[in-house]
Amino acid sequence: MTNGMVFALIGAALAALMAGIGSAKGVGLVGEAAAGVVSVDPSKFSKVLILQLLPGTQGLYGLLTAIILLSRVGVIGGTPAELTTAQGLAFLAAACPIAIVGLISAIFQGKTAAAGVGITAKKPEHNGKGIIMAAMVETYAILALLISILMIYNIAV
Amino acid sequence: MGGTKYAKAVAAIKAMENFFLTHSDIEQLINASGKAEMNSILASKKSGGAETDSLESVWNTLMDYAPECQELKILLYKNDFHNLKAALKSMISGREPDKYYIKPSNLNLESLKEILSSKEYERLPEYMRKTAEEAYKLITKTLDGQLADSLIDCDTLKALQTAAEKTKSSFMIEYALLNTVCADIKTAYRCCKMKKSMSFTETALCGSRELEKDGLVRAVMGGMETLTSFLENSSYGDAARLLEKSTAQFEKWCDDVITELAEQARMQSFGFEPLAAYYIAAEAEIKNLRILSVCKEFGADRETVTERMRKLYV
Repeated sequence: MTNGMVFALIGAALAALMAGIGSAKGVGLVGEAAAGVVSVDPSKFSKVLILQLLPGTQGLYGLLTAIILLSRVGVIGGTPAELTTAQGLAFLAAACPIAIVGLISAIFQGKTAAAGVGITAKKPEHNGKGIIMAAMVETYAILALLISILMIYNIAV
Repeated sequence: MGGTKYAKAVAAIKAMENFFLTHSDIEQLINASGKAEMNSILASKKSGGAETDSLESVWNTLMDYAPECQELKILLYKNDFHNLKAALKSMISGREPDKYYIKPSNLNLESLKEILSSKEYERLPEYMRKTAEEAYKLITKTLDGQLADSLIDCDTLKALQTAAEKTKSSFMIEYALLNTVCADIKTAYRCCKMKKSMSFTETALCGSRELEKDGLVRAVMGGMETLTSFLENSSYGDAARLLEKSTAQFEKWCDDVITELAEQARMQSFGFEPLAAYYIAAEAEIKNLRILSVCKEFGADRETVTERMRKLYV
């Protein structure tokens, strides 16, 4: 295995790992808040569940990026490419946007969604506002995902 | 993930806040013909909600959700020091203190009297050890219950301020400050009216950054006019004017400023502040219900009831 391939694999691992950690933290925090509301009013379960799902998307973006990267370098569904160090570093750099932005945005989205759980608890009819506020944070994860994918597809192998 | 403490507890209390009485509920209760109607209105409003009939059940609910929250314990300091007074007086009078205790409390009330009789002050929480020792000495030496009460009341406020400063929470610092200011204004007013000595006034007043102790003592010694003008020149001129008119209105003002503070804290999504705000709101609601209940029992007119109703947290 070449050094380039090692860097590419690190990139794939970071994308899945960091975005996954962020999502786990975010979903965990919202789940904690949601459990508090459901313990008092179980009828609000479905409403708070939507909020809990929101910070989970970053983990999926990380997973998607890792799969695309692995298939581009031939680890999945092909022969592993003989990557140069420069190419490997390029793949590592390509994975960075979703890895870093995924981690941070999932945590912040978790905080916003947990605050949104408070809205649902007090004024269930305004649940949608809590969802919109939390969804705004998602924009930056999507932008990072887009950049990561564009970079991965445009690195010559 | 700093700053997201008590997410579960805060979300739960936000759901429980829906069971607080609203303005229209209070109106209905005021219009109720008697206690029986009041009780039936309350039963329909509170069904399915969290228990808010006694502060102890409110406290237990909060502790179920946030058992590790040390900051909330500051809210019980006033009860703790009151219970210390009750235990000390019961020792002197030979009565059982149980019915004078206020719950919830941070103290182990079963053993409080025994701790004081055996002088094992180290078994008490740190914030009240010195006070308990001093008050015990004072009451056994002078048999002056009022002086011991003043010492304990003043130390309550000092303990409240010290503990609040340690939390570094602006809400808790403001809460301690408002409690101190309200208590100091009341004490100064009483000392002035009863022409208490300078040494008694110095023991009884706590002082704060808003109403500094020396100035307040001098104002009390100068007589009612000097005290009134001192208070009017402070940020609490409105409160002083209310106190001149009626003590009931001043008491209401004191509770209302604390509820207003709690209203700001409830906007927070995490931290202990919304939990403390919920406790303060429950305290105000229970007080409102007690006032309503007493007024109904004695057939007070609508105006008397309305002017005593505390600000609602809704």
